Amino acid sequence: MLELAIGIILGACALGAGVAMIAGIGPGIGEGSAVASACEAIGRQPECRGSVTSTMLMGCAVAETTGLYALVIAILLIFVAPNRLVDILLTAVA
Amino acid sequence: MKIDDAVKRETKYIAIGSVILSVLMESIFLIAHHWSYTVILGNLLGIIAAVGNFFLMGLTVQSAVGLEQKDASAKMKASQTLRMFMLFAIAILGVLAPCFNILAVLISLFFPRIVIMCRSFFLNKEEGKKENDGGENVE
Repeated sequence: MLELAIGIILGACALGAGVAMIAGIGPGIGEGSAVASACEAIGRQPECRGSVTSTMLMGCAVAETTGLYALVIAILLIFVAPNRLVDILLTAVA
Repeated sequence: MKIDDAVKRETKYIAIGSVILSVLMESIFLIAHHWSYTVILGNLLGIIAAVGNFFLMGLTVQSAVGLEQKDASAKMKASQTLRMFMLFAIAILGVLAPCFNILAVLISLFFPRIVIMCRSFFLNKEEGKKENDGGENVE
């Protein structure tokens, strides 16, 4: 029974990490469309290249943070959470 | 490839802001009595990863700006995926190697976002001040 509980904990953590990484798809799509729009803007007004690039850089960095949140959650779920949860379970059983 | 001035300038701002935030984080660790050499190493690893990620993103943006819309979008997506893998590998290194503090590595990855937020906050404040001064002069 204890092995089953530990297995469920490990499986749920791995599943949670996988689900969290779905959020990593969003920034890629967002950055892609932002850069495509910037290309269009620079095509229309080439003299604005510098300001468009720096504004877009900031926007892309902000967009990428969503992916970073997901990454950190996934790493914590894979490497930190299982040990803590198994410890809690074993303490409760003992 | 010549690096664009905008990329250099923004990376410099991010790097300086990250160093300031690192000092702040180190002092918080020190106050909380959790400071050790692992915090410094973890902080260094996190900052290098975060600023390097930003710089690589800048290089990609710089090269993607001259392309067709479709190609630029695809290039940015591919770059984002590769950079995410790089960050994943670095974060795993930070978690598994005992010489790095996990919290210091993971918190340092968010420094560029915090720097951008603070910078936009101060810029808005300065612009508001200038507008107010301009309004007073007009009156």
